[in-house]
Amino acid sequence: MAVTLNQEKTNPSVQTAPTPRGFSVLWTIVRYALLLALGLLFFMPFIISFFSTFKTTNEILSWPPTILPKEWLWDNWAAAWNTRIPGVSSNIFPRWLFNSLWVAVVTVIAQLFFCSLAAYAFARMEFPGKNVLFSIMLASMAIPGVITLIPGYVFFAKLNNLPFGIRLGINTYWPILLPNLAVPFGIFLLTQFFKSIPKELEEAATIDGAGRFRTYWSIVLPMARPALITLGILSFQGSWNNFTGPLLFLRKPDLMTLTVGLNFFKGQYVNDWPKIMIGTMFNAIPILIIFFIFSRYYVEGQAAAGVKG
Amino acid sequence: MAAPAAPAPVKKPRKMSSAKRGETLTAYLFLAPYLITAAIFTFGLMAYSFYISFTDQEGAIDKKFGFVGIDNYIRAVGDNQFLTTLANVVWYALIVTILQTIGAVLLATLLNSKMRFKQFFRTIFYAPSVASSVVISMIFLLLYLRTGFINRFLDIVGLPSDTAWLQNSRGLFEILIPGEQTISNPFLRGPSVAWMAIMAMNIFTTIPTLMLMFLAALQDIPGQLYEAASLDGASKWQQFFKITLPLLRPTFVLVLVLSTIGTFQIFDQVAVMTQGGPANTTSTPGYLIYSKVLGEKTSPESGYGAAMAFILAAIIFFFTWIQRRFIEQGAQKD
Repeated sequence: MAVTLNQEKTNPSVQTAPTPRGFSVLWTIVRYALLLALGLLFFMPFIISFFSTFKTTNEILSWPPTILPKEWLWDNWAAAWNTRIPGVSSNIFPRWLFNSLWVAVVTVIAQLFFCSLAAYAFARMEFPGKNVLFSIMLASMAIPGVITLIPGYVFFAKLNNLPFGIRLGINTYWPILLPNLAVPFGIFLLTQFFKSIPKELEEAATIDGAGRFRTYWSIVLPMARPALITLGILSFQGSWNNFTGPLLFLRKPDLMTLTVGLNFFKGQYVNDWPKIMIGTMFNAIPILIIFFIFSRYYVEGQAAAGVKG
Repeated sequence: MAAPAAPAPVKKPRKMSSAKRGETLTAYLFLAPYLITAAIFTFGLMAYSFYISFTDQEGAIDKKFGFVGIDNYIRAVGDNQFLTTLANVVWYALIVTILQTIGAVLLATLLNSKMRFKQFFRTIFYAPSVASSVVISMIFLLLYLRTGFINRFLDIVGLPSDTAWLQNSRGLFEILIPGEQTISNPFLRGPSVAWMAIMAMNIFTTIPTLMLMFLAALQDIPGQLYEAASLDGASKWQQFFKITLPLLRPTFVLVLVLSTIGTFQIFDQVAVMTQGGPANTTSTPGYLIYSKVLGEKTSPESGYGAAMAFILAAIIFFFTWIQRRFIEQGAQKD
């Protein structure tokens, strides 16, 4: 099955069995109502949390809870933005946001480059060992991450005492960045896409004397834009939402990314509900905005994930 | 190395031509970043983990440690704490996998037909799935408060509304069997109220992702099949059970296997919401292993933790193997 990324799949007309007209109209209404209700249900937790950011802790803990605040405390957001905690020299939430952002951006750039390089080799080049490597790569996606948790920690703990004072271990960003430079899912996604691009243009370029890298860089990559965007937003989301890695390796508050920072903040200030929920919104809102802008690519990425089965 | 070609008409030198060698070299250069990271961080660490699991290594930083054979594995299968986490996670995987798969199929079926606003609904349903596990956990901590919206909803529909969801350790079967029972076996006791609350949260937030996979598969089923069936007088139900479900088989395998791998390793939600409590009823192997390596709550025991990780991986492998076999055999019978 080919991965179609650039056009919306048209639905093969599902013919309904002849049913009485009245029933069919009723069923349509019921279905739309049901879908709307479900959509609202899936969104409700976000709406409730968003409004709770304008409440006091007392109001959040009082019974019965109401969706809208009794009194709107607009200042809560500014107060959260300016929150300081001991041991960190700047406002804590902007700092965690910044850490999350740059880790995500570096991850996206690295994955787009390294995954597409590998994918180009798998899709277009002939070399011994190709099929074996590709199969091993696919199989490695099924290795449970929990297996590399302990050795990962032990391994990186040792990398803090390298010569010349080089530190690559705990409380640096290397343990989070290095293992994610090139990931099997990304290579697989791009390989499938590259295979679906017609070869003629590349052949013309080769005749003109372009080397492999030039062909990859200036012919294939530009044509793969939709697939690259899909991989880009999925890897941004993966990094932005990552919790286990940063939790294990970033043990100082000023180094934490937002997900881990939030968990740390919650542990320290159990009852500061408005700030906890505002921090949660700092994590949720950017990714939701990205989702709504690029939703088409998300859906296609999910469909592509389904192809590998 | 290159597979031997069919008998060549002209005698060729056995060595690769220089053009071919150049191509091979370039290909491996292109693959180098992936090959190096995979060799170190996937396969290297896996081998290292396997080695550690036969030692009595404690913390992460160099300390004298010795080879102890399979002691760690023997200790794990007799360790009540580890067995409790396994019982918890088996209940979790079973209930969550089944319910979220059913929910996803139903939702996909509801969405898959000629209708307006299909894009819109698909977007709306999927949106909550892009939020991180930490965001979802924080939001549901709020909803599950004693004075939270889950209790408020139960109150409105007239059900008991005073449950402290994440603090309640009573097991499902302790509740279902009349009388004040306590069952000490962590598996027979059934999942605790707190654990079921986390299950409900994850079912709710995973359905949309799986729904998209089923939707993509549904759209690949040719419409003519349904036309032919309805000409033959097959009812909608018959069409669903005789055409739709069998053709979704590969998607079922994929969804079940992915869910199994994911559910058995559940960690984030436990770390954020309950830290394994109350009374260890939400503790999972992933969380226990994490505590063992960092020495949180216990002294660090990396070797023992690695052994538990391999036992967990073996269990995951066993279940996914059964699913593949079971469903693919079913396909041959059809």
